[in-house]
Amino acid sequence: MMSTTAERAKGAGAKIIRYRGVIKRFGTFTALNGVDLDVHAGEVVCLIGPSGSGKSTLLRCTNGLETIDGGDIEFEGALLPKDDRALRSVRTRMGMVFQSFELFPHLTAQQNVAEGPRTVQKVGRVEADLRASAMLAKVGLADKAPNFPSALSGGQQQRVAIARALAMEPDVMLFDEPTSALDPETIGEVLNVMKALAEEGMTMVVVTHEMTFARRVGDWVAVFDAGRIVEQGPPPQIFEAPATERTRDFLSHLGWSG
Amino acid sequence: MNLDWSVVWQHREQLLAATGTTVMLTIATMAIAVPCGMLVAALRLYGWAPVRAAATAYVELFRNLPLILVVFWAFYVLPIWTGLGLSPLATGLAALSLNVTAYNAETFRAGLNSIRRGQVEAAMALGMSRAQALRRVIIPQALRRVLPVLASTWVSLFKDTSLVSVIAVTELAYVAMQVRAQTFRVLEMLTAMAAIYWLLGYPQAKLADWIQRRYAVSE
Repeated sequence: MMSTTAERAKGAGAKIIRYRGVIKRFGTFTALNGVDLDVHAGEVVCLIGPSGSGKSTLLRCTNGLETIDGGDIEFEGALLPKDDRALRSVRTRMGMVFQSFELFPHLTAQQNVAEGPRTVQKVGRVEADLRASAMLAKVGLADKAPNFPSALSGGQQQRVAIARALAMEPDVMLFDEPTSALDPETIGEVLNVMKALAEEGMTMVVVTHEMTFARRVGDWVAVFDAGRIVEQGPPPQIFEAPATERTRDFLSHLGWSG
Repeated sequence: MNLDWSVVWQHREQLLAATGTTVMLTIATMAIAVPCGMLVAALRLYGWAPVRAAATAYVELFRNLPLILVVFWAFYVLPIWTGLGLSPLATGLAALSLNVTAYNAETFRAGLNSIRRGQVEAAMALGMSRAQALRRVIIPQALRRVLPVLASTWVSLFKDTSLVSVIAVTELAYVAMQVRAQTFRVLEMLTAMAAIYWLLGYPQAKLADWIQRRYAVSE
């Protein structure tokens, strides 16, 4: 929270997402209790913290899958619209990757990736297919194009899901615990794809329990607890010199040793 | 017992025509009841509250009335309501459609509800509208899931068409019973009728099983 722009390596980039005092309630439960956070162009912002602390909720509010009860979320300089049509247009500029992949099981890998461009962006069949092929190649799955999701491993399904989001040519990618449902041996392949994406300069917001990823690939880390950000800063600060007791507790419970 | 099977052969043309009516009645009923069932299910799930209530009332009424009662009701009440002199065939078709639409609506509703929420969210995260998500993601999956149920409804319907014989629709059961009454060849005609229903019904059931295997989606 107390960090100067100088510490923020990519802080010079335009602010793509701004969260200001974001509040979200589910009935009597307050999931987000006044969250302030900036995401700059080209940054990888990692949201970490215990389960139920509000990280995923914030991500889901970002593209309007959940509505907020207070505060503001700005995307590319404008408040997140309430109007359905405008919100849909915003969503096309934010790719989202889910913990449980959520590939469409009745479509092949290729069709899954081409679906967004075809249906939402009204891109022609040929161009959508070219785009889909390129995106599958990018995540290393060109040879799996004709396979249905049920014939793919978890890691492969998640890479197809990343390709599906990328096919919309988004400005930001939102990752909601992308490796939490994976077997340990396939986590690496997904993280490598995400790392490559970060190196290309994609702006990414990543909810994760992979501390090594947050430490090595993240540009900025926000630590959540009970619906608030208790600490945020560059990874070295968070992981090597955490300022709050809560962050130290959380990291030590994960066995993090720096 | 003295059996004379020639009676079946002698009436082959009538029986064949009646079998055609039975098959046609089944196809026509499903052709009406599948789209109408989808519509009623959609109204129940996504409609404006009063529309939802009306769709629910319709389903609960026709699902819980004996089909034969609906057939009689259609025969006596429809002409008064509509002012039209409907043929027995059209009346029978209306009664069967009312009944099967209610069943199909429940089948489709269960199918739509069985698709997990994450699928809609994935579609919406791509920027799809609810209607697009329904059309491109939810309905195609739901249809595959309900196909086995629709197929077994089809097989039941094929047999249930015999109930419209009570209002003199000249389908298989009615014609077979008529021949029986004229010739007193009860056992022969009942057996012939059973054979025709079974020979036609069994392949349909097998076809339904095949369709289910062919279009099953595994997750």
